[in-house]
Amino acid sequence: MAGPLGQRVGRRAAPSAGASSAERHEPVSPGSGPDAAPLLEVSDLRVRFRSRDGMVVNAVQGISFTVEPGQTLAIIGESGSGKTVSAYALMGLLPRTAQVSGSIRFRGVEIVALGEKALQDHRGRNVAMVFQNPERSLNPTMQIGDQITEAVRQHLPLGRRQAADRAVELLRMVRIPAPERRCHEYPHQLSGGMRQRVVIAIALACEPQLLIADEATTALDVTTQAQIMELLLDLQRELGTALLMISHDLALAASYAEEVLVMYAGQVVERASATDLFARVRMPYTRALIDAVPRADQESHVLLPVIGGRPPDLSAVMPGCSFAPRCPDAQQDCRQSAPPLEEHEIGHWWACWHPCGTERPADA
Amino acid sequence: MAVPVADALSPAPPAGDVAAPGRRSRTRGLLRTPEITIPAAVLLLLLFFCFVWPHIYPVPPPTGGSILDSGLPMWSPGHIFGTDNVGNDIMSRILYGGQVSFEVAAAVQAIGLVIGGALGVIAGYFGGPVDSVLMRVLDVFIAFPSLVLILAIVDSLGQSELNVIYALAAFSIPAFARVSRAATLRLRDQPFVVAARLSSVKSWRIISGHLVPNMMPQLLTFSLLGAAVVIILEGALDFLGYGIPDPAPSWGKMIANGQTMLSVRPSLVIVPSIFLFVTVICLNLLGDGLRARWEVR
Amino acid sequence: MSTSVTAGEPGTSSAEPSRPGGGAAAGRRLAGSPALRVIGRRLLITIPVLWGVTFLTFLVLNALPGDAATALLGANATPAEIRAETIKLHLNESIWVRYWDWLVGLLHGNLGTSLYYNQPVTSILGQRIPVTLELVVYALVITFVISVPLAILSARKPRGAVDRTSMVFSMASLSVAPYVLALLLILVFAVNLQWFPALASGTGGDIRDLTLPAITLAIPLIGFYVRFLRADLLEQMSEEYTVTALAKGLSRWKVLSRHALRNSFIGLITVIGLNLATLIGATVIVEQIFGLSGIGYELLRAINNRDVPLVEGIVLVFATIVVLANLATDLTYDALDPRIRHGRSRS
Repeated sequence: MAGPLGQRVGRRAAPSAGASSAERHEPVSPGSGPDAAPLLEVSDLRVRFRSRDGMVVNAVQGISFTVEPGQTLAIIGESGSGKTVSAYALMGLLPRTAQVSGSIRFRGVEIVALGEKALQDHRGRNVAMVFQNPERSLNPTMQIGDQITEAVRQHLPLGRRQAADRAVELLRMVRIPAPERRCHEYPHQLSGGMRQRVVIAIALACEPQLLIADEATTALDVTTQAQIMELLLDLQRELGTALLMISHDLALAASYAEEVLVMYAGQVVERASATDLFARVRMPYTRALIDAVPRADQESHVLLPVIGGRPPDLSAVMPGCSFAPRCPDAQQDCRQSAPPLEEHEIGHWWACWHPCGTERPADA
Repeated sequence: MAVPVADALSPAPPAGDVAAPGRRSRTRGLLRTPEITIPAAVLLLLLFFCFVWPHIYPVPPPTGGSILDSGLPMWSPGHIFGTDNVGNDIMSRILYGGQVSFEVAAAVQAIGLVIGGALGVIAGYFGGPVDSVLMRVLDVFIAFPSLVLILAIVDSLGQSELNVIYALAAFSIPAFARVSRAATLRLRDQPFVVAARLSSVKSWRIISGHLVPNMMPQLLTFSLLGAAVVIILEGALDFLGYGIPDPAPSWGKMIANGQTMLSVRPSLVIVPSIFLFVTVICLNLLGDGLRARWEVR
Repeated sequence: MSTSVTAGEPGTSSAEPSRPGGGAAAGRRLAGSPALRVIGRRLLITIPVLWGVTFLTFLVLNALPGDAATALLGANATPAEIRAETIKLHLNESIWVRYWDWLVGLLHGNLGTSLYYNQPVTSILGQRIPVTLELVVYALVITFVISVPLAILSARKPRGAVDRTSMVFSMASLSVAPYVLALLLILVFAVNLQWFPALASGTGGDIRDLTLPAITLAIPLIGFYVRFLRADLLEQMSEEYTVTALAKGLSRWKVLSRHALRNSFIGLITVIGLNLATLIGATVIVEQIFGLSGIGYELLRAINNRDVPLVEGIVLVFATIVVLANLATDLTYDALDPRIRHGRSRS
């Protein structure tokens, strides 16, 4: 099925399966049916930063979502939307200046306000993260193998020999050739794509159930990007890991995610399966994002529709919808009260008083 | 970055994720930072004390005291810090000794800044053989134990405040040259300088209009920190007997003279030491504070 | 002056471009020979520097008004006696001849005879150097044992209690003049508490003799290194690889001491070489105050006596140490940083 961006929408089909996109909503990992408890439950998560001179920044203003075991979820948003802060909150990596409220439950265990020791157990074993800059994510003065075995031995009771073997195994799993040799090399001797694979290997060292990829392919060239995404999906299938992709790249989300969350100014503004989101986009913001992506079937030398204005100042709390100042469809009530996020259609949430495609004549 | 990196050990989310509040106050902020204003105030106070006070208040002369007055303890009437063993008023010796310290430090740093700074800029900007030669010469000075050369210079030229200044300047110049050269090298490849060069702007104007103004903050902080070192070095010279000639007072000499009476009258050593320490630490704090401020930008 | 304690950023010796540039030759495939090539190249550069140092010293010392003969014989010597002594000491020959003689002797391993002691300079150096060496090593040990843990503790919680106190103390430490510190330590520990002697007894093999002087030397260094290392550690902690490390589940302490410290150590090594010249200057004063017969004290006496060969010898020793130390730190830096050791990536 072709999406509005002209690309294939929905998870890339597994080599064996030829199932339609509708079946893609099933959790992938075997043995867990739809009644299984969600892997991750986020309820009304709020994160505020207070700086030394008293400035308060409301980075995340009450988001809620769930992740099922083995699911692929994408969080899309521009800079400042709060997506990375949310990810860090899931890992328990926020600095002490961050005030976190709300609930994050991983397999029923509350993460918010967990003690440091418990968080150390949580990080790397339950949830792991792949970061944006492969150049800077690895310690330049430490051998690759050591960096992986460190991750392994942090949570698994393996001896040195066994951990080293596991490191080689992990490198092989992320498809790095000559893994035994690589173990003794340093990060700068590897290319960007390979470094990112190493970071993935480190993340998967203890087989976490949730992998967060924070702009993991943004810094890579397009070919490598595709390779890394394919790798992530294959690994996900093999290990049954849930994948949370964080990106600003809609096309990426469209191609690889089952479900997409769109964040703006610290809030979730739309949530739907990938196919629904692009077929029946509701939020003017999401629609504007979709429109802003250059398309192969567009005429050349056409001005791209850009979203006017700037992201809101997160230190001020303003009444009304946070997108209203920039929304082409904004009305009086939009500015007065903020629309709540509600499931207006099955599997499709949005927070808008005047969404696209409902009361108005359908347009592209 | 809006999100404060308060914890070294907890990462703050990348800057792009949180909108920056964007608010800057410059000079007003300068006056608000106590780590800059307090040392500056103390230094000004000391300068006033050493240079202005003797003209306002009849301070007893630092030399030529009579034996009858010798050995007076602290807080004696008319001699707040007491007198030394030949009868000189210690407070007045502190004041006049302080004059020497400040004069020497200011002169040495001024010479270093102008000459050394110029040399470094020229070497850094033009490069080539000029730079290589300068670097060798600098290396020689750096490898040289400075105290040795200073002692030797003072010894050969004779002891006087001026010669002490020359001797110390011989090391201040290479130090400034190194700093200004490094700064020049760093600035030279900045886009705005490259643009100027490509537009055939005269070198002289590039240097004076672009390079020097951008180096000034760094050179200024280096001057302050260097002044602290100069004061200590000058004190060392006096301490060893190679500095300011007798009978002029200086803090280093007072400390040296007080050595012999250390167990009996420690105040002879302690009082000048305190003044020395306070001066140096204020210079260091000021230099460090300014540097921290200008680096954050 | 030449190495201001708090001023500026440390850079490597001005002879070489900063940081990895000097190891450019080391970017080749083989490990052994590039290193030797680099060492060789640097040694070649240091020789003219050393020459410059000795020549400068010679020049300055011989411009001095007094001369050794008068110093040796005293003020009451007759002109004839002085003249005889002058001839005996070869002081009547021109400066260039004397310098040449000295240089030739140097290349044969002979540093001449001390005019004052009438012994070979090398043997005098041989007696004095071990004392100074012990002192410096002792001081450096104290410095590192205290600075590194203190820096880590400070970096662990910036602006925390430990951090604030250590910053205050370190600022105070590096603002104290060595002579003041020495006298204060003597006052407190030798005079009042009587834990350590104020003046060295004997040839200074005794640790108790060396403790106060070593502490005097160590304190300003500690002040500097704690600040430096703390700043570097904090800088490392804002690098992304530390986030990766935390994401693995490592504790903050482990990330600091296992990851950040490795990277900061490299910078620290560089700084040590730079501070060496200041350290030497301080030993001169410290030895004098505590009565240790090391080369620092000897230097003062030799300058006083116009004992040119001895001064030359000592200056040569100092300069060689500084130059070699800088060379060593440059090489260690190249060796420790794997980016230089193994060359650039071949992506």
